[in-house]
Amino acid sequence: MPHTRVLLEEGIFRQMRSTVPEISSVAWSSMITGTNPGVHGIFGFMDLFEGSYRMRFPNFRDLRAEPFWREWPGESVIINVPSTYPVEPMEGVHISGFVSVDMARSVHPAGLLDKLTEMDYRLDVDSQKAHSSMALFLSDLNKTLEARIRASRYLWDHVDWRTFMLVFTGTDRLMHFLWNAYEDERHVHHDFFLDHFRRIDEAVGEFCARMNDTDLLVMHSDHGFERLDWDIQINHVLKEAGFLAFEAGEEEVLRNIHPTSRAFALEPGRVYVHRRGKYPRGCVDDEADTIMADLEQVFSRLEVEGRKVIRDVYRAEDIYSGPQVEHGPDLVLVGAEGFNLRATMKARVLAERGIFTGKHTQDNAFLLVRPCGGEADLPEWPEISEVRTIIETMNPALAGVCGRRYA
Amino acid sequence: MHNAKCTCWNCPAIDLAGKVDFRACGQSTKQFVKAADDTEETRIMGECKRRPELGLFDPMDMTFAECTEYAPGPYGYMLRDMRVMILGIDGYLGWTLALWLGSLGCKVSGVDNYNRREWVKERGAQTIVPISRMNERLRAAREVLGLNIDFRQIDIYSERDRFKEFVDEVKPESIVHYAECPSAPFSMIDVEHAIKVQENNVLGTLATLFTMRDVVPETSMVKLGTMGEYGTPLTGRPIFEGLFPADAVLQWEGREWSLGGEIVPRDPASFYHVSKVQDTFNCYEACKYWWLRSYDVMQGVIFGVDTDQVSADPRLRTRLDIDEWFGTVINRFVAQAVAGIPLTLYGMGRQIRGFIALRDAMECMTRLICSPPEPGQYAVVNQVSGIYSTRELAYIVAKTGREHFGLDVQIQRVENPRVEADEHPFEAIYERLPKEFGFAPQVALEDEVRKMFELFLTDEVRARIEERRQVIMPKTWWSGVKREVERLELLDLQGEIEEDERMFKINR
Repeated sequence: MPHTRVLLEEGIFRQMRSTVPEISSVAWSSMITGTNPGVHGIFGFMDLFEGSYRMRFPNFRDLRAEPFWREWPGESVIINVPSTYPVEPMEGVHISGFVSVDMARSVHPAGLLDKLTEMDYRLDVDSQKAHSSMALFLSDLNKTLEARIRASRYLWDHVDWRTFMLVFTGTDRLMHFLWNAYEDERHVHHDFFLDHFRRIDEAVGEFCARMNDTDLLVMHSDHGFERLDWDIQINHVLKEAGFLAFEAGEEEVLRNIHPTSRAFALEPGRVYVHRRGKYPRGCVDDEADTIMADLEQVFSRLEVEGRKVIRDVYRAEDIYSGPQVEHGPDLVLVGAEGFNLRATMKARVLAERGIFTGKHTQDNAFLLVRPCGGEADLPEWPEISEVRTIIETMNPALAGVCGRRYA
Repeated sequence: MHNAKCTCWNCPAIDLAGKVDFRACGQSTKQFVKAADDTEETRIMGECKRRPELGLFDPMDMTFAECTEYAPGPYGYMLRDMRVMILGIDGYLGWTLALWLGSLGCKVSGVDNYNRREWVKERGAQTIVPISRMNERLRAAREVLGLNIDFRQIDIYSERDRFKEFVDEVKPESIVHYAECPSAPFSMIDVEHAIKVQENNVLGTLATLFTMRDVVPETSMVKLGTMGEYGTPLTGRPIFEGLFPADAVLQWEGREWSLGGEIVPRDPASFYHVSKVQDTFNCYEACKYWWLRSYDVMQGVIFGVDTDQVSADPRLRTRLDIDEWFGTVINRFVAQAVAGIPLTLYGMGRQIRGFIALRDAMECMTRLICSPPEPGQYAVVNQVSGIYSTRELAYIVAKTGREHFGLDVQIQRVENPRVEADEHPFEAIYERLPKEFGFAPQVALEDEVRKMFELFLTDEVRARIEERRQVIMPKTWWSGVKREVERLELLDLQGEIEEDERMFKINR
């Protein structure tokens, strides 16, 4: 990846912490708002309607903090940022990313739709194809990437932008499905894996070449990746330890939770104390602290094949602050190396293996900054919600809005 | 309430947005497979067209009872101001249902091509209950019941582009498909009529299915089929509700196969019935290919004249035909009794059929409209409230005419112009509507027959029957012959009925 290597030489590289949990909806919401989930209100891909066990999928309308493009001066081009669907009017162009379900509501301004269609723009690769044909999925992955690059090139040239943000998400899908291909040089898709990254590197080179010397360039990921050894079912742990039960004979879904249940978990490792008044069948009053302490013990001791399963158990107050904290989980678990956390209600076993071979990591995302002149002072191990402030600090044009979220 | 636990997955207001696998940050906006039956590895996302503020959510999680867009009513939880489009709204059933649903708070729209009026005219017949032109019917509905029915004269097949535009404009949440020629004899007149029936029914249904796919894929279709699709299996095999039950087994040469969920055999008895069978397969396939949802309503032979709405004002009455092509058996028997024509049994007159009164049929349809099938589900109900032999019916009509109205009613056996078994076993299963949709028949056959006599004996209706008495006796033979059937004998009914009840299991 020669173009990225040049940037590494010219810029400042940092290993970066993702959010807790380390998933795209939370991480990107933190990045674009420069806040933590306690402020922006996005704690996961799924959440519950208040006062119920009904599952909802938070989207851009649920974001409780302002994305940078509403506050920075000038027009922005925002392409494929996860969890920004449906788009809303803004200065510039916004094409939302995963999860985007309706093209018409994924593009602002609407007049751009025809052009994007003409360019065969795809909101996302159809991941279900991987289950029927990996070859078809990979072909789709490439087509999606090429269309994204075409659209970006067009918008680069045709919009008078001040901020340009492009997210490549195909790498994430690729690593979920084919991390084993990356590790195994003899794997039939090993070369495809590397070629996909090379193609992105070419695009990076192309756009870097179009930049002015005074432009600030920031490249970063929203999390890291590693090999997935085991899927760990958190709700199975809760059931086995007596914290969670369902009505006898009923389907094991949250609406059938037994009223004596003291905790339940949502994907990926969010644990909620089943509080009275907050949930229809909640039973926990004053003993929430004791329950959390007990849960910390249970999860800290969890082992599979002699390996510790949980790297960290965080209490909400340790990682979140702000008005939305009450809507978030009480505990958030981060898996140890190789352990991917799941929260399937119907889980019958603690550890299982599925079709995925790669999983997100929380502590080794990356941040690469090529300053627009002079030296830059970056934190040693930044967190993704700091990226926005770093940009505002380093870009003289944004001096007026610098540090706003920490004031 | 029967549909309290139905979820947004069933609701036509859901906009199914796609399937997401959050494990791999992967989405598909095309595939919808119910998530409740798997291990939660993928999630279906939906958006509510009525409550966009909910954003994206799991449609399996919210029940009708929990949703503020649903209100409990006499026939289950029903979408408030539900938009229902009735195809064939000018007909006997369509008009009745329009007034019925409108009175329940539905926003009713409808289309009709007036074919039925033309076909009846072609036979030299007329509806014996007078009906006005559509404009006047709509005005009466507005004045008497306060209903605003959105009507367009459209042929759903030949004017399918206009039909599509109308559907797009209204965005119905349920489409009731009554827009079919309902006559077996009409389809057997000659090749022109057979083609006309097949074109109207089969191609009209096909056009409707494609329109739904393109414009309103989440809308449920409640499509009128007929019990006549099944025929009358001479082995006595039960007539299941469209599909074999889960524990049905086929045995052959010492081997066994499950038949559960497969479409049961059809044995149609005319080219009209064949068109209904073709509809069944077209609907079944459309549900399979496009995730449409459809109830196929295998309705028994319909009879009756009464609902609260059509009886509220003479201008609101629905049509009623008694001619050999479009008159159903009980309606024709009562007209014959009033006209002094002996009631006509075809052949042995021991044909056994399922029947349902107009009011009960409206209730069943409403319950089905309230509880749409799941996406991709083709479901069937046998819409029947009682089983009778034609002899038994003739006896009941004759007895009612004699005892309550002083009429000298006789019964005759005539040559059977149809190709059908006129003596056969019959065991129809009709459990779904009572067990799953909370339906209990409200109308006693004898009571409805009395109401029919009362209406038919009014001066105006009686005169209209007399005017067209020559079109009651069948002249259309399945063989193609055109001549009036001849009498075989006059009957002593009481003795015959007792014999019938000994011979067959009558599921009354």
